[in-house]
Amino acid sequence: MPSFVRLMRPVLLAASLAVGGCVSAQFQQDPLERAVIDRQPAQALTILEKQNHKDRNAALYHLNKAVLLRMEGEFKASNAELEAAKQISQQLEAVSLREQADAVTVNDAMRSYLPPPFERAMLHCLEILNYLQMDDVDGAHVEALQQDVFLNQHYEKNEPPFARYLNGLVFEADGELSDAMIAYRKAYQAYRAAGLPVPQQLQADLLRLTDYLELKDEHDKFEEQFKLKHWPTQAELDKQGEVIAVVLSGLIPRKHETSIMVQDPENGRLHRISIPFYETRKPQVENMKLVSLNNTSEGELFARLDRQAYANLEDAMPGIIARTVARVVVKNKLSDNMAERSQLLGAITNIAGFITEQADTRGWNTLPQDILVGRIALAPGNHDIHIELDNSAGNMVGSETKQQVALRPKQKRFFSWHWPASHVTSRNPSHETNSSTTIYYRHRID
Amino acid sequence: MNYRLSGALALAAVLSVGGLMQGCSTSVKRVSTDEQIDLSGAWNDTDSRLVSQEMISDVLSRPWLSEFVSREGQQPAVIVGEVRNLSHEHINVNTFIGDMERELINSGKVEFVASSGERGEIRAERKDQELHAREDTRNPMGQELGADFMLKGTINTIIDTEGKQEVRYYQVDLTLIRLADNRKVWVGQKKIKKLVKHPGLRW
Repeated sequence: MPSFVRLMRPVLLAASLAVGGCVSAQFQQDPLERAVIDRQPAQALTILEKQNHKDRNAALYHLNKAVLLRMEGEFKASNAELEAAKQISQQLEAVSLREQADAVTVNDAMRSYLPPPFERAMLHCLEILNYLQMDDVDGAHVEALQQDVFLNQHYEKNEPPFARYLNGLVFEADGELSDAMIAYRKAYQAYRAAGLPVPQQLQADLLRLTDYLELKDEHDKFEEQFKLKHWPTQAELDKQGEVIAVVLSGLIPRKHETSIMVQDPENGRLHRISIPFYETRKPQVENMKLVSLNNTSEGELFARLDRQAYANLEDAMPGIIARTVARVVVKNKLSDNMAERSQLLGAITNIAGFITEQADTRGWNTLPQDILVGRIALAPGNHDIHIELDNSAGNMVGSETKQQVALRPKQKRFFSWHWPASHVTSRNPSHETNSSTTIYYRHRID
Repeated sequence: MNYRLSGALALAAVLSVGGLMQGCSTSVKRVSTDEQIDLSGAWNDTDSRLVSQEMISDVLSRPWLSEFVSREGQQPAVIVGEVRNLSHEHINVNTFIGDMERELINSGKVEFVASSGERGEIRAERKDQELHAREDTRNPMGQELGADFMLKGTINTIIDTEGKQEVRYYQVDLTLIRLADNRKVWVGQKKIKKLVKHPGLRW
């Protein structure tokens, strides 16, 4: 036995180094990410299409393609991809016994990718934005109703506030002010529940609609709480048209893998536990401004998707750890069984189990990190709209222009831009945003 | 314990291979367009056809039609206007409008006028005829049949979900409006309720 251990040690060490190589390779920048950051969606689409997409990652393929298509201005095609991802996600809600078995015997990434609730809420949001950008308010209305059902079904608490706010914008654009008020109220409650500041624009919306709908007690409460000096009344707003700009800034942090690898000194066996963690990123654009001749409106931060991603991983971590521990038990037993028949088979099984132990680091990586919203009310007519994108120091890093935007009274026109420029600030698995879970692995746990 | 574990792993392997084999074949079978097939529980061709048949049958059996014929001495000209989709689903309203138009025309009880989009194309063609067609084959401008009534409506839904079950309630409201004085001469409503059960397990 000891001689066999001596013999196998170099082999097992090589396997360990091979796995180490795989881990470091994932820190290299993905060419698709580079193309997205460079705002080259056509190039990114080419890269995406050349990649090998497994059936179990079909939802991810459609989601990423949808973002790239909307960056190209192909909103209808983007919605077709989002619909495909939506259908797949609905089908994947049913639990697969086969995939669960694979997850407990091989690794978590063997399961089909079911986007977590915050990604599925963003699926609806992007579809809404696509419809709005095509001036199809009825299409956006359908999607907003679907999103409402989805949020009610999948969130008991901590709803994504931007999703609710966007629904409010859709209902308002469709002239359904009481429905808009309900959506804005839910957005307000979601910001408060998450401990996030309530955007001033939402404050003004709540004051305007509680005033118009004669919800006096609620209006008084908001007036006292918000202390806004100026907010437009519904009558004032109805005389004007409105341009609403949404900036999708940065790229959501990616998940990486952190592993604990140990070798049993008694039998030379390798053991490995891998769990995912999020890097942290900083978007280039942190502020925005809408300008039309003498009118200027400051945009605001409405969503931080990185926080939603961290919270989602935190919630999922107990399940991830439970499956990881179960895998260790299964793989150890399998190696033992094989070793009883042949030492070589036992070692091969051990190496196979060691190499296949990988964390599930999949995610919708083309999502933005932040969402900024700006609204500007203008007199009916045609207007050139300039949008200025600023970094955290207040320096303008980009700008966009929409020429001759036609506005009727009460009409709302929507535009959105992706500005994915961002950089990684940390790839340390122990940084504060990640799960603080520690796995102690000093002795065999089976 | 070891044998039990080996058995479980063998079962997992068999399940995996079975899963791979299951996804290997696509089958296609032609079916009648009248056959009722409900896959997801969403609004489908059967709903569109049944609702349009029932509602058009209802509108043509009401007194406004006989009153108009006896008063004017001719069949009324009807146009289908906007049917707004206010539901939770991206319904192709054009197929529903198409189904209603077909039912109206085939009833033989009303004249049917082309929609505003279709009229634009036909007017362009007539204009083109004035320039390019032989005089004896030209169709002159100003001879269109004006509609007497417009059919408008909405499709609404209420969705109630609990766990894997879902109740989908559809309500289609149609209104027939006399263009001469905006009077509503018929209001029809058709409701559909579906109980959809989603599977809790899959392969």
